Amino acid sequence: MVQYNFKKITVVPSGKEFVDIILSRTQRQTPTVVHKGYAISRLRQFYMRKVRFTQQNFHEKLSTIIEEFPRLDDIHPFYGDLLHVLYNKDHYKLALGQINTARNIIGKIAKDYVRLLKYGDSLYRCKCLKVAALGRMCTVIKRIGPSLAYLEQIRQHMARLPSIDPNTRTILICGYPNVGKSSFINKITRADVDVQPYAFTTKSLFVGHTDYKYLRYQVIDTPGILDRPFEDRNIIEMCSITALAHLRSAVLFFLDISGSCGYSIAQQAALFHSIKSLFMNKPLIIVCNKIDLQPLDGLPEEDVKLVMEMKAEAIKAVVAQGGEPNDEGVLLTMSTLTDDGVISVKNAACERLLNQRVEMKMKSKKINDCLNRFHVAIPKPRDNKERPTCIPQAILEARAKESKEMENRKLERDLENENGGAGVYSASLRKHYILASDEWKEDIMPEILDGHNVYDFVDPDILQRLEELEREEGLRLEAESYEAEFEIDGKELTPEEREALAEIRKKKSLLIQEHRIKKSTAESRPTIPRKFDKDRKFTTERMGRQLSSLGLDPSSAIYRARSRSISRNGRKRDRSFARDGDDAEAMDIDDEHKSKKLRLRSTSRSRSRPPGEVIPGEGLKDSAQKLKAIKIKKKSEKVRNKAARRGEADRVIPNLKPKHLFSGKRSIGKTQRR
Amino acid sequence: MPQGDYIELHRKRHGYRLDHFERKRKKEAREVHERAAYAQKALGIKGKIFAKKRYAEKALMKKTLAMHDESTTRRKVDDNVQDGAIPAYLLDRDTTTRAKVLSNTIKQKRKEKAGKWEVPLPKVRPVAEDEMFKVLRSGKRKTKQWKRMVTKATFVGPGFTRKPPKYERFIRPSGLRFTKAHVTHPELKCTFNLEIIGVKKNPNGPMYTSLGVMTKGTVIEVNVSELGLVTPAGKVVWGKYAQVTNNPENDGCINAVLLV
Repeated sequence: MVQYNFKKITVVPSGKEFVDIILSRTQRQTPTVVHKGYAISRLRQFYMRKVRFTQQNFHEKLSTIIEEFPRLDDIHPFYGDLLHVLYNKDHYKLALGQINTARNIIGKIAKDYVRLLKYGDSLYRCKCLKVAALGRMCTVIKRIGPSLAYLEQIRQHMARLPSIDPNTRTILICGYPNVGKSSFINKITRADVDVQPYAFTTKSLFVGHTDYKYLRYQVIDTPGILDRPFEDRNIIEMCSITALAHLRSAVLFFLDISGSCGYSIAQQAALFHSIKSLFMNKPLIIVCNKIDLQPLDGLPEEDVKLVMEMKAEAIKAVVAQGGEPNDEGVLLTMSTLTDDGVISVKNAACERLLNQRVEMKMKSKKINDCLNRFHVAIPKPRDNKERPTCIPQAILEARAKESKEMENRKLERDLENENGGAGVYSASLRKHYILASDEWKEDIMPEILDGHNVYDFVDPDILQRLEELEREEGLRLEAESYEAEFEIDGKELTPEEREALAEIRKKKSLLIQEHRIKKSTAESRPTIPRKFDKDRKFTTERMGRQLSSLGLDPSSAIYRARSRSISRNGRKRDRSFARDGDDAEAMDIDDEHKSKKLRLRSTSRSRSRPPGEVIPGEGLKDSAQKLKAIKIKKKSEKVRNKAARRGEADRVIPNLKPKHLFSGKRSIGKTQRR
Repeated sequence: MPQGDYIELHRKRHGYRLDHFERKRKKEAREVHERAAYAQKALGIKGKIFAKKRYAEKALMKKTLAMHDESTTRRKVDDNVQDGAIPAYLLDRDTTTRAKVLSNTIKQKRKEKAGKWEVPLPKVRPVAEDEMFKVLRSGKRKTKQWKRMVTKATFVGPGFTRKPPKYERFIRPSGLRFTKAHVTHPELKCTFNLEIIGVKKNPNGPMYTSLGVMTKGTVIEVNVSELGLVTPAGKVVWGKYAQVTNNPENDGCINAVLLV
């Protein structure tokens, strides 16, 4: 089912705007830089691209316009006729035709100039051709400017047309102006149609929706129709005539029997007879409105006769359609002011429409496809015994009691009415509270206490929680008291000890501070072991200084440290010292061995071997093999980079010219960020 | 869904917002500043377009303001003189007699024979041969250079067939062949799209005339039966000369002025 929603049509730009949009798009989205020295094919391609791009854009935009506007022949004849009445089919088609021609002309221009550009032999010539091509295309658009403006106006008006579904259940309301059609539709639907005392308040069709028997009905309000020959009718009346002619709906003909609309019943009857041809095959109901001003019985005789004539016509129509000549649903009275009879009119109209539609459906061929698909199964009675429903006596009694109670129950509303009405009586919402004691029902609850919200502290389990808390509190107190018994058992400190303690504490705090600084900068600093210190912080001098500051003799410690270090070039050592030190260690060695050992350890002996030479031994047959073994060892063991030196994985290739900052067209302005 | 004139209906029922008029007034007052800010900020092609538009608007504003200003100076009032109006003392004179008309026709015929006309563009820029022709190499080794391709707009008659490609020396590409020209009538000031009958004379040389090349200043013959001109004798004029006023190869069309 096509949804007749004309709100989705894109805005039609005016002629000048159109040209501006397309040309600026061409300027932005095609390359703009070209030089005289480029190859001629490149120059040609540059300009051909511009011409083609512009043509494509024009084609696209014009095509959307042509496609989105509805074709009057392709849509439902109701809408086709309505649009013809409102906008004049010929003008509309002409305008769209002009747009189509413009589109073709632009295509031809582009083709011609692209062909000419192939013969361009200089930048100037190609540029002139491109300027001429774009200029001609824009002139074409300028020429169709008035059509574009016209289509834009039509689009705006079309968007505000009501979306009427021509195929669903519809009720159409018609009659003279000011008889009460818009008030009626306001009463039964949620449409908010303007109701004013002057004629032709409603100037176009309005649609509202209402429900009846779980089905949705469209109610269409039309502008009033005057009794005039067909050719003299203006656009507004033609809207209602179109709706009457094309929509298969129930028709409610409104009659103002009080004459307060300014037209007599005779005139309204004349109108009825002149348009009764439009009521063929439609369930017709004649509605007499404004009976609060003038009841139907109080009418003068001639008017009553006219009304009865109309009723007779309507009954004739019903008979023609195949219904019985029952005159109940044909003439109805109501008053929209007092709401008297409004619902019954609506129900009657909906009922008749529904019956008619169901009948049509049954008569049509499609029903047979559905009919053989469902089957209502009724069980065949096996004997004549009656088996009514069986309800136990107790429940019947309970039901009766309940119904009696419901009747006798006093409602809040009655209470309100007794005690002074809506503004005076305020119901006490607390009287149904369920509390431990009934006296608490009318108590005032404080909301704020000591600056706190009372409700923040309200808790249903509050007593339980209190007990738990107290238990915990008791445990904690015990633990504390246990701890408090422990005290420091010791003598007073001497002043030197106190000094030393102060020193130690100062030292400790310094260390802690240093550690904290190190920790905070640890992310940017590689962690290297102490022996690789680059800053040469851990030297023996430092150690000596620190020890002497503490009051100790550093010399032996320094000696020991130095003796443990391995230095490549060797170091001259104090022989006497060495001997003493060695004596302490090697207590069981003889003198000969001692001297040998000394010699071996002495590093002042010159080396007789070149540095790269490898002596065979250690299970390897010759130098070559040993070399190979050493090489294999080196390859297999990866030396750890404990000194945190820069390795092959730490190489960085910076991106000095990131593409996103250097691309794109920006003739003026900086590009520091994108 | 909103239907009909729902905006007006809402206005009728609920009126305007409490601050509607004040906001509207202030918004309009602010537009001046916003426009100025845009004019100062807009760069590039958009700025130029805006500046041009704004200049035109300002010029118009100034004119209207000047018109509305009351001025105490007295100005000479010049009524527009119609073309062809003559002062009173020159009325009642027959400017041309029949004899004169006849002699004019004879003079024109003589001029035609001599090959001299009064044309709107008496002098045109000479076009060199290398600008007019492009050398095409041919032959198995592409060494022969006797073929030439015309790079300007040309006209070939309706019954034109090319010489066999092996022998044709001057190639006139079909993309550069034109059959119609936009001819302006100098007195009526309107332009018609007329068919070309032939190229009468190209000022650059007789060779170009014979080739049918149309450059600026070329005199062409156009089919003016559309205009419905009639000779004094009663015969219908269907061919007239026109001179080309633009460079057709740069504009893709031939603009000409009718020689009356």
